[in-house]
Amino acid sequence: MEQELRKEARKLLEEGKVDYIIGFAPGSLKFSTTPLITEEKEEIASLVINSFVVNNLAKFLTEVPGRIGIVAKGCDSRSIVSLIQDNRIARENVIIIGVPCSGLIDIVKVEKLVGKDRDEIDDIALQGEKVAVTVGGGKTELPTKEALFDNCLSCEFPTPQEYDILIGEPINATCNRELGQEKMKELEGMTPERRWEFWKHQFSRCIMCYACRQVCPACFCEQCFVEETEPQWVLPVPKWQDNLIFQVIRNIHVAGRCTDCGECERVCPVNIPLRSLTKKMYGLVNEMLNYKAGTDKNAPPLMTAYEHEEAKDLIR
Amino acid sequence: MEHKSEWEPRIVGFLCKWCSYAGADLAGTSRKKYPANVRILKVPCSGRVDPLLILKGLRLGFDGVVVSGCHPGDCHYQTGNYRARRRIALTKKFLEYMGVPEERIQATWVSASEGDKFAQVVAGVTKGLKEVGSNKLFAGNGQ
Amino acid sequence: MTTKKISKKDIGKLLEGWSRELTVFVPSKDKGVTEMAKWDGKDTGFLEWYRNTVIPAKSSFLPAMEKMFSFQKNNDGYHLELSPDQQKRIVFGIRPCDARAMVIIDKVFTDSYEDPYYVSKRKNTVLIGLSCTNPYDSCFCTSLGVKPAESADVDLMFTDIEDEFLIEEITDKGKELLAAASVVKKATKADDAKAKTEKAAVSAMVIRKLDIEDISEKLQACFTDKDYWEKVAAKCVSCGVCTLLCPTCYCFDICDELSKKQGTRYRSWDSCGFSIYTQMPMENPREAKWRRVRQKVCHKYEFYPMNSEVIACTGCGRCIRLCPVNWDITQILASVPAEQPAKK
Repeated sequence: MEQELRKEARKLLEEGKVDYIIGFAPGSLKFSTTPLITEEKEEIASLVINSFVVNNLAKFLTEVPGRIGIVAKGCDSRSIVSLIQDNRIARENVIIIGVPCSGLIDIVKVEKLVGKDRDEIDDIALQGEKVAVTVGGGKTELPTKEALFDNCLSCEFPTPQEYDILIGEPINATCNRELGQEKMKELEGMTPERRWEFWKHQFSRCIMCYACRQVCPACFCEQCFVEETEPQWVLPVPKWQDNLIFQVIRNIHVAGRCTDCGECERVCPVNIPLRSLTKKMYGLVNEMLNYKAGTDKNAPPLMTAYEHEEAKDLIR
Repeated sequence: MEHKSEWEPRIVGFLCKWCSYAGADLAGTSRKKYPANVRILKVPCSGRVDPLLILKGLRLGFDGVVVSGCHPGDCHYQTGNYRARRRIALTKKFLEYMGVPEERIQATWVSASEGDKFAQVVAGVTKGLKEVGSNKLFAGNGQ
Repeated sequence: MTTKKISKKDIGKLLEGWSRELTVFVPSKDKGVTEMAKWDGKDTGFLEWYRNTVIPAKSSFLPAMEKMFSFQKNNDGYHLELSPDQQKRIVFGIRPCDARAMVIIDKVFTDSYEDPYYVSKRKNTVLIGLSCTNPYDSCFCTSLGVKPAESADVDLMFTDIEDEFLIEEITDKGKELLAAASVVKKATKADDAKAKTEKAAVSAMVIRKLDIEDISEKLQACFTDKDYWEKVAAKCVSCGVCTLLCPTCYCFDICDELSKKQGTRYRSWDSCGFSIYTQMPMENPREAKWRRVRQKVCHKYEFYPMNSEVIACTGCGRCIRLCPVNWDITQILASVPAEQPAKK
């Protein structure tokens, strides 16, 4: 699959169809990959596809100029469609190289299950229903279900819906929509007071690094509301009240454009369970407004559209 | 006038200037009796109400937030209240999931001729908030 | 210098003895992220899992959020309420890289103006270093003159010698602290030798290397090479993770929280990676991402050494481990062009 990808990407550059290729290259740490943004044919040889291609590359579409050939997993392609719906990029300026994905390995989960940090693990290999983890010569097998990211477990669109070139065979969604929902269900089962205390505790350790906002393709505002000083909505001080407000408003602002790709939670340096928020919003948007982000490039963006009759039980 | 010694909820209301604000005015000129707990902020349209305004209200210590606009189909700017509808519905449900009691955020449609309705809305919200209690959501230093 | 030692199972007793008069901070993961936090009085489990904290030790001296003072407006004017003086405390378990970082940034807070908040914390804290036994593959301290198992930047240095720690008294402050501890014994020559071997062994475990020879000059030479810096900056997403969690970064923002008749002034971490860091009323000189990325690299490896004769980096590797896009400073510095770009 990697060979085919490199061939196609190289062809796009050689035929002058794109100015840049955005894809994944091997990372400098074990079990990591890093975004590759290049116009050089020689660098195409380093493009990879494996179980660790975590970044949502759609983020770079709003920055990199010109025509772009972009490698997109299922979730990424929906972020790209979302950006097209919002008119941030033009469909004709993007050539989507779709890569069907059967799920990515969450290195944090693997670390917890084998009790070792990633630099102490020799190898992690996804083998169908099992993940083989080699540590110091000894091999452990984990059920794949326990090693994948939560949002991969309930992935509905493993094959990109929108693409120009498809690498490999399409994958059908066999994942159970109910999987990966434990944290959210746990929260829904608590009393409101307990829930608020939970989030208060979580946001006490937020340091306002804005990694969650910066990796999110849906967060493309040139001036974020937190940077507004007249009036000042939140202080640049990481008090839990302001951290909480920042994240809640961020979720509401990206509602309908967030594809629940999970990048925000992965990049948080202090381990705040942000997907328990994005997943809930994604579910609300689906239940209340029958909408799934990035599935129809011709649909109007969620928050600019309306039906004549809706939300009757909430606002009278 | 009875001496009120119990706690009174403080409510901030975002009223659209074309319908709801006029409706509130009508409640006043018709001498309707209703609790004096709402501090009214006039907005040009309910579509102006960003969820940030709602959260900022709660952050500042208001016990409840009311958003009121023209009835769907009657918006002075045609579609403003349709946008508000989706936004506020999602905000309310999402904040409920966070742990904010639903009584703290109320949205309603009040037209310029519904002074009665406005009075009822305020009375209802005030009553609901008296049961939920004072807003201590954002108090304290956390852990 | 006579060395002492303590059995690992007596660490709890040692900390307990100290905590009667001082507050003891140890590596902790109670809050959901690893950081130095107040010791709970009994758990010494950190000795098993601790490699390095995500939140650097600088947070004990320059916290992510610090109340500077609060004020009230009464009828007779403004009343200031200053923050209380720093209580005496111990930070137990700081790694040599983080300890060196404190020395590197001390200058910033004492040079032409003594920052009372930082200085009082430094004065009232005893730093107890703990040697690494298991460096990350992202650590590169040895390339920057830091040794993972030894340090002269702390008050007491504990070196791991299997079931015991060898203790070196580096400063008088440390000596004084150790004087009353009864669980501490004299070390033998064999212990000293064991520690020496251990120190060398751990240094050899740091596999990531960085060639810093002439790095300042090299960076100076390619400063105007916009193409190079744009390529370097391409995948950066301009969050603040690398700078906020860097032990040698010290930028902070000050702002006031105001209400009608009172307010509080806070200091909090700031990052040159944010696009609004250099925002001014008329313009923003570092609006373009490549300028910010260039600034970060050059500040640490060119400007700071020019002013203070020391590179503002101790090779702790946090920036590499925590970067959302795996942007790697060691790769960048290895790729700095050796010659000036040709004039276009």
